[in-house]
Amino acid sequence: MSRRSGSPAERILGGPVLWVGIALLTAFALAPFVWVFLTSLKTRQELYATPLVYLPGTLTVANYVDAWTSRLTPFSRFFANSLWVSSVTMVATTAISILAGYALARFRFFGRQAFLLVFLATQMFPAVLLIAPLLSQWHALGLIDTYQALIYSNFSFTVPFTVWMLVGYFDSIPRELEESAMIDGCSRFGALCRVILPLAAPGVAATAIFAFVSSWSELLFAITFTSQTEMRTLSAGLLFMVGQYEIQWGQLSAGVIISTLPVAVLFTYLQRHLIRGLAAGAVKG
Amino acid sequence: MSYPEATVAAAVPRPLISRRAREILTGYAYLVPAAVCLGGTILFPILKAIHMSLYNHVLIRPQEYAFIGLGNYVRVLRDEVFWLSLWNSAVWVFGSVSLQFVGGFAAALLLHQGFRGRAAVRTVTLIPWIIPGVVVALVWEWLYQPNYGVLNDLLLRAGILRERVAWLSDPALAMPAVIAANVWRGVPFFAIMLLAGLQAIPDELYEAARVDGASVVGRFRHITVPLLRPIIVVATATRIIWTFNYADLIFVMTSGGPANATQITSTYTLLQAYSNLDFGYAATLSVVLLVIMLAFTILYLRVTRGIESVS
Repeated sequence: MSRRSGSPAERILGGPVLWVGIALLTAFALAPFVWVFLTSLKTRQELYATPLVYLPGTLTVANYVDAWTSRLTPFSRFFANSLWVSSVTMVATTAISILAGYALARFRFFGRQAFLLVFLATQMFPAVLLIAPLLSQWHALGLIDTYQALIYSNFSFTVPFTVWMLVGYFDSIPRELEESAMIDGCSRFGALCRVILPLAAPGVAATAIFAFVSSWSELLFAITFTSQTEMRTLSAGLLFMVGQYEIQWGQLSAGVIISTLPVAVLFTYLQRHLIRGLAAGAVKG
Repeated sequence: MSYPEATVAAAVPRPLISRRAREILTGYAYLVPAAVCLGGTILFPILKAIHMSLYNHVLIRPQEYAFIGLGNYVRVLRDEVFWLSLWNSAVWVFGSVSLQFVGGFAAALLLHQGFRGRAAVRTVTLIPWIIPGVVVALVWEWLYQPNYGVLNDLLLRAGILRERVAWLSDPALAMPAVIAANVWRGVPFFAIMLLAGLQAIPDELYEAARVDGASVVGRFRHITVPLLRPIIVVATATRIIWTFNYADLIFVMTSGGPANATQITSTYTLLQAYSNLDFGYAATLSVVLLVIMLAFTILYLRVTRGIESVS
């Protein structure tokens, strides 16, 4: 390999420095998680032992069982809530964004530039800006403690981003493809569904995952627009657990692992597409 | 197919509206759902926030609800915590983004090399970026925990510390501590962006430079850095805006404390609404935040437009 040859400096950079760097990088990213994972498997005695016990002597899943079935902080319920809110947000966001992204990529009409600018600019707005007005809005509509309030609120950050990403994807697909489909008798909508969507599938999947993951992580709307325990999402539930009483770090660690696993798995599965899309979207910026 | 001329002549009745007009209408129709979403969840709430900012509106004191004009804005100007929070935001943004950038650049250079297991290492290093903010906050709170946290324990064992440190309740240490957690979370973002940029640089450039006798450092300075510049600018600008807006981490870890040592503008706004239920003042702070954000965004658009026209 040509990389291996060259000056002594290059050989050191390509050998020891590279491996030490990779080891450090992996440790930096993983160590905090490994620690929380170990914590979640410890008994109460080991958790609060002095001096600190690093490796659990007896592995226990009691923390997971307790968190999942607890009556004060029922993680099974939180998990179901998060799954429902994130899934509906994902499906609705994707449908809305496909239409809008396609329109902005294909049609030339008055106000197109303005729309694009609004979709870009609203991505930069902080969520805290919307807390007070949205709370009074949902209150007036009687939507406090409902899934709808959370799902609608999530649109405020998912839709601008996914539209922006999909415009880029649709732009990269040649117009001729759907034009020939339309000459063959397809309607505009039929051409979108049968010709464009299959080609844009990786991009659409990546943006859908983005919508899911960001809704899954959402905290501020979830704590302000719900007040009943059974309406909390995982993020809100975790915070609620901290505020509730003396922090039960064993259960909390189990809750942290439960909240992390689904997004970590999804992300691992789709990271390639997401990264490519992000980079493309960013350079277009 | 015996009368081809007849079929052609009969098939195309004159459309009611022209093709062009229909295209435009379809375009608008496809935009309606997204426009309704944005209108209902962003634009209308912003107008509502501006309206709310003109009222004395504390949820637990409804009898004091009254129109006070610009009274809330005068209060912002006189509010020492607000000015402190702006300064803290600057420290928070600068500390987080600069360290994330340095770490992310190093990570991107490493991940760009060919080595066995690269895909696995890449996935693992990206995970801190996609997990929920509240999870990041709790993981780090547990590491920092004074009595049972692993950080104190390791530093004591290594002889670096003599006694346990309360990382998050010491006013001098709290800000560096939350920044460290945020750096952990943000390094992968820069790593991804810069890695994508690195992969777009053609290998031939490096080969040519090598043939011309350029050293590793020379190639880095004269090829890697200039060609990455557009993506560096875009990634940094996006990250600055995002970090300025980001409230979750500090809100969970310290709620802006101790004694407002980690109070940034976004957490201050959040606390006014969430804890004090002072909606009028929270709305005012959000409007101020919005104005700052718009200024940033305009600057950002200027900078990225400049890049587009160059490249």
